Amino acid sequence: MIIINNMKEFINYHLIVKFVNIKFTIRIKIKNFLNKIQGVKEMSEELAINLAELERDKVYEEVKKRAEEGEDPLQILNVCREGITIVGEKFQTGEYFLFEMILAGQIFEEVVSILEPYQAKATSVESLGKVVLATLKGDIHDLGKNIFATLLVANGFEVFDLGVDVDLILLVEKVKEVQPDIVGFSALITSVFDPMKEAVNLLEENGLRSKIKLMVGGGVTTPAVKEFLGADFQTTDAYEGVEFCKKIMGVK
Amino acid sequence: MSMTPRERVSAALKLEKPDRVPVVPNLTPISCAHLLGWSQAKIALDTNAALESMIKVYDEFGPFDGVNPVVCCTTNSLLLQGHKVKIPGKNLPEDVPWQMVEEEILKFEDYDKILELGATKFWTNELVYRTSDEIKTQRDVTKLLHAEISFYLKSFKEWYKRDTVPMIGGGGSHPFFVLSLCRSMVKFSEDLYYHPDKVESVIASMAKEYIPIWIKICKATGVKMAFFCEERASATIYPLKIFERFWWPYTKQMVEELWANGIRSWFHLDTCWDKNLPYFLELPKGSAVIALDGTTDIFKAKEVLGGHLCIAGDVHPSLLSLGTPEEVEAYCKRLIDEVGGDGGFILSSGCEVPFACKPENLRIMVETGKNYELSKQ
Repeated sequence: MIIINNMKEFINYHLIVKFVNIKFTIRIKIKNFLNKIQGVKEMSEELAINLAELERDKVYEEVKKRAEEGEDPLQILNVCREGITIVGEKFQTGEYFLFEMILAGQIFEEVVSILEPYQAKATSVESLGKVVLATLKGDIHDLGKNIFATLLVANGFEVFDLGVDVDLILLVEKVKEVQPDIVGFSALITSVFDPMKEAVNLLEENGLRSKIKLMVGGGVTTPAVKEFLGADFQTTDAYEGVEFCKKIMGVK
Repeated sequence: MSMTPRERVSAALKLEKPDRVPVVPNLTPISCAHLLGWSQAKIALDTNAALESMIKVYDEFGPFDGVNPVVCCTTNSLLLQGHKVKIPGKNLPEDVPWQMVEEEILKFEDYDKILELGATKFWTNELVYRTSDEIKTQRDVTKLLHAEISFYLKSFKEWYKRDTVPMIGGGGSHPFFVLSLCRSMVKFSEDLYYHPDKVESVIASMAKEYIPIWIKICKATGVKMAFFCEERASATIYPLKIFERFWWPYTKQMVEELWANGIRSWFHLDTCWDKNLPYFLELPKGSAVIALDGTTDIFKAKEVLGGHLCIAGDVHPSLLSLGTPEEVEAYCKRLIDEVGGDGGFILSSGCEVPFACKPENLRIMVETGKNYELSKQ
């Protein structure tokens, strides 16, 4: 009996120990998992904050490290997008100017190029929307358009930047092919007003105008230019432009 | 008794009330050629044709009280300033205006060369050769310089013949703007943020170098007004801490030294300067003209700087291009009433008269400037 009792105790003891061990192991595993999640979150926040603080060397170092460790490049990119969102918020409150947005955009562009070799490992994600951008024929200025394009990409849009001095037929063909949600014209000189109007007419003739939202931006544009083109939106402010695109796509 | 154009402009510059507001549209060969129906290719490389286009527009639409041929209004001038240019008829269609290609023509390591050689020497010995394949020898550079100087001297003679005031005697762009254009705005912004001490030392050295040159040129031309172009340093792009460190101290230094030599500064200020306006109160009274492009709130500028500096502007390029004559007339009347008021105002286009300016809009702007105030007396 004693043996039996002892056996019982032995079994009970071992069962309890095992149970405790399992509990302990599970607890440890959960704790590790939570730590890991928390760690990832903390790291993410730090990476995003570093980007928002324009600490480019720290950002590049962290992005390289995480990509080499096998993290999904899109996940890394999304963290950097969080940084761009913080920059946008700071811009909105007046803490940041276009200056900081340009710098953040440059960091983001470099991050994209660092991650390029790792893209095969990337999971696919849906973009917020498609935007075709162009500076039309006769105008070769691209500074504002490039800044805007970078910010759109950083905010999750798929951008088809046709460049400068863009032929109107090429624009129409590209809009047919890409079927964008938004088309944006950039203008710095008044000589491009008429080509922009011609482009709008061509989009209408091809049954494309009603399928897109049309925006126009650039130093020489005003509400009068919006009216002249029958555009949906006009701005000289890249951030406002991104906000318009988000609104069109129903993103807050 | 009515004033002569010279008296009228002079009164406005001294913040006094002229008989009526002076009218000084900011003409360039680009808009003049278009108003005349000439191709852009015709005036892009031929400085004689460029000047002829301006004179013909003056004769047809004028007379104006002054002409403001901005210093960068020829392709030669752009090349000499270290910019690549696309030329109509060569690498742009014939009827498209010439345009500057903004790229990183000035490298980061060139900052040290500017500090070592001085900006002028570095530009003429090295940078200008990077702008065009056609500039190969010192002789090519000299040829460009001669063409440019001859353009200005000839234009002065023509304006004097017509009893109108050439507004600009010399000058150029703020070192901040020069570097931004030659480095490209994105690269220059990175330099400002990540290498501020280097940029600051280069700007300080360029400002010091520019002052005696600008004074010399203004004295040589006899027109005591230095052109001071800046399109990027405003709070449209840069926070005030950048403006305060890299732009304002050198601006103040340059304006004060020019003023001490009897020379005013004509600030050609594109983009929105609303937040930067109060700084200009630190300049000596009457020492400068603030020419706005239609983006800065000119009515606010009047509140802030009225009675301290002369204000010029600001019929917006899109209004001159797309507006009706009635709209242009209404805006000019508002400017004369609200900004002109007690004097110290020059009616002008915002930035330059644009390529697409409708002839009837330029005409009504000039006519409103000349007649509206007098008709009320």
